[in-house]
Amino acid sequence: MAKIALAALESALRDRKLDRTLTTALPPLEQAADACAPTGVAAVDACLRNGVPRGQLSELAGPRSAGCTTLLLQAMAAATQRGELVALVDTFDRLDVASMEAAGADLRRVLWIRGQVGPPEWAIDRALKALNLVLQAGGFGLVAIDLADVPAATLRRIPFTTWLRVQRAVEGRDTACLLVAPEPIARSAGGLTLTLTGRATWTGTSARPRVAGAELRMQVVSPRRRVGGDVAVSARTDDVPSYVVAGH
Amino acid sequence: MNGALYAAAGSDPAQLLEVAREFSPRIDVCGPREITLDLTGLARLFGDARTIAGELRRTAADRGLRVRVAIAASRTAARLLVRHRAGLTIVEPGDDAQALAPLPLELLLNVRRGGPSGPPDDQDAEICASFRRWGLRTLGEVAALPPADVAARMGQAGVQWQRLARGDDPAPLVPSVPEERFEQALDLEWPIDGLEPLSFVLGRLMDPLSAHLERRDRGAAVLHVRLHLVSKAVHERTLELPAPMRDARTLRTLVLLDLESHPPAAAIDRVVVAVDPTPARILQYSLLTRPLPSPEQVSTLMARLNALMGEGRCGSPSVVDSWRPGAFAMAPFAPSEPDGGGREGREGREGGVGKALVVALRRFRFAVPARVQVDDGRPVRVTTERRGISGGRIDKAAGPWRTSGQWWASPESGKSGGSGESGRSDPDSPWDRDEWDVTVSDGATYRLFRERDANAWFIDGVLD
Repeated sequence: MAKIALAALESALRDRKLDRTLTTALPPLEQAADACAPTGVAAVDACLRNGVPRGQLSELAGPRSAGCTTLLLQAMAAATQRGELVALVDTFDRLDVASMEAAGADLRRVLWIRGQVGPPEWAIDRALKALNLVLQAGGFGLVAIDLADVPAATLRRIPFTTWLRVQRAVEGRDTACLLVAPEPIARSAGGLTLTLTGRATWTGTSARPRVAGAELRMQVVSPRRRVGGDVAVSARTDDVPSYVVAGH
Repeated sequence: MNGALYAAAGSDPAQLLEVAREFSPRIDVCGPREITLDLTGLARLFGDARTIAGELRRTAADRGLRVRVAIAASRTAARLLVRHRAGLTIVEPGDDAQALAPLPLELLLNVRRGGPSGPPDDQDAEICASFRRWGLRTLGEVAALPPADVAARMGQAGVQWQRLARGDDPAPLVPSVPEERFEQALDLEWPIDGLEPLSFVLGRLMDPLSAHLERRDRGAAVLHVRLHLVSKAVHERTLELPAPMRDARTLRTLVLLDLESHPPAAAIDRVVVAVDPTPARILQYSLLTRPLPSPEQVSTLMARLNALMGEGRCGSPSVVDSWRPGAFAMAPFAPSEPDGGGREGREGREGGVGKALVVALRRFRFAVPARVQVDDGRPVRVTTERRGISGGRIDKAAGPWRTSGQWWASPESGKSGGSGESGRSDPDSPWDRDEWDVTVSDGATYRLFRERDANAWFIDGVLD
C-alpha cells in the first residue's frame, strides 16, 4: 500500500516537474567523466570529484581578493581548452581581458556579456535576464554570472525563487552554471558551494616587496553530492616567472 | 529535338531570352545573341518542327527581333546551321550529318569559342590550320576522317573537333536557371502599429520565403525589410546574417528584435521582405566534440542580448596590441569547430590540469578616484567615496611601476572622458602613471595608480 502511495506521489511530482528537485535520490559516487566540468586545477578537481557538476547551479563565494575571479577564469579557460563554449555575465563590467588570456582561455569561445554601470538593482536585473537567455539558448559548457561586487544587503534582497528559476533553467542540460558572489546565496541542492578565503602572498625584501601570487583556501560544501573538505592551492601573478615563485 | 536561335547584331539579349523562355524551360544561353532550346514535346502544342520554328520567329518579330532559327536532332547541329543559314532551317531526324557536310570548317571555331567576336583558342586555331593544310574545307570532310588516325595525330582535341563536325553534342544540356528574386510583400488593408501585429504579418511572409529558399537549396545571407509607412516614408532595415539561414522562425525573431531597437516612426501599410540568397551551408558534425549551437541559435541569442544589454555590450573579448593598461576590444561571437576535433578536446582535458593558477585582476572599467596618504614616497592609507570599497591602512605596498604611452597624442583627448575615467574611454589618449599593488588592513589587495600629470590617485582594480 505504501509503495503504491509513494509511486502515486512520485508520479504527481513528475507531472509538475518537481521530481528532480525534491525526490531524486543522491547522485552516485562514481559519475561519468562528462557529468562534471573540470576546473583545470588538479587539487580542486580531485576534491570536487572531477569538477563542477553540469546541469546544476554552483557558487564561488568569498570576500575581495579571496581568489573567486582567479578560480572562475581558470575554470572558463579549462572549458575553452576542451573545445566548449563559455559565457560570462559580467554584471558590473569587471573582466580584465588580459587576466583571462593569461589563464589560458581561448577568447574566441568566450561570450562576454558586459553589464553597464548603474544602480545595482537595475544591473542585477539585466544580468539575471541575460543569464536566463544564455541558459535557455543552450550549447554552452560553462555559464557564469559575476555578482561579486554587489553589496551584501542588495544581494540578500534578491528573491530566493530567482535561484530556483536559474536552477530549473540549467537542470538537465550539459551546462555547468557558476555564481560568483561575496557570500553563499543560492544554496542549490544539487550544486556545490565553494567558500574561498585566499590572500595575496608577498615576496622580496621589506624595502622592495612585491606581490608574488596568492594562497587560495577553499571550503567545499555539498552534502547532497557527498563532497566536502578544504583545499589549498597557490596562484602566481602573471608577470612573475614560475621559477621565482618556486624559490629556485 | 533541339533548336537554336541566333539574333541579328544589336538585338537585346534579355528580349531574346524572354522569347526562348516562352517556348521551353530548358534553354542554354550560348552567347549574347545565341540560345539553344530543348524542344522535346513541343510538337503536341504547336505541331511539326517547321511550325515551331515559324512560331519562334513570329514571336521574336513581335518583340522587334530579327532571328535565325534552326531545328535539328542535336544542339551542335542546330548551332552550326543557325550560324550558316539565314531564315528557318529544319533538319529531319537522322539527316544531321548530311546537312552539316557542306558547311565550312571555320564554323567550328565560332561554336568552340561561343561567339564570332571572341579570339579563338590557340589550340583550336592550330587544329583548324592543320585541317586546312591537309586540304579539308568542309565539316563533312573532317567527319569522314578515320577517328583513330585523328586521335593519333591531334590527340583528344582533334577527336572533339571531329565529333562536333558530325553534329554530336559534347555534353548534355545544362539549363540556364533564371535569376530568382527571393522577396515577399504584403499590402495591409488597415495600417498596423506596434510589433506584435507585425510579428503575425512577418510570419506570413517568412514561411513562403523560407520554403522558396529551401526549394532552391539556398540560405539568406542578408535580410532586407522595407516597411512602407502611412506617412509615405519607407523604413528600411538590413540585417547581415553571420551564416546562411532559412529558418522562418529565426528570421522573424531577428527582424522583430532589430525593429525593437529601431522602431518605425509611423503605422505600417505595406511590408516587403527580401533576402540576398547564398548557397546553403553544409555541416559535418563530429562524433568526438560537443556540438556547437547552430548559427540560428547564436544569431537569435546575440540579437536578444544586444536588445537587452545594448549594442556592442556582448561578444567575444580580444586583446589588442597595446601597452595601455586594460586595453581590449570586442569581437563578434562566432564560435567555430575546434581545429583538430577531438584531439584538441583531449589535449585540453589533460593539458589544463596541473597548470599554475594565475592571479586575476578585477578591473574597474572607469577607475575609482581615491584619496591616498603618502609617507616617504609610499602610500600608507587609501580611502574612497565609492560604496563597497572599504579602503583603510595599507599594510604592504609594492611599486611604483611607471607606465606611459601615446605621449605624442594631444593631452586634451585624454580628458574627454570626464572626471574619474582617467582617459581610458579614449584609446588614443596619452597616459602616464605610477602603479602600486597594495594590501589594505582588511586583507584585500588593490592596484592603485597615480596620474603623474594631475597628481591624482585612482583604484584600478582588485587582485582576486
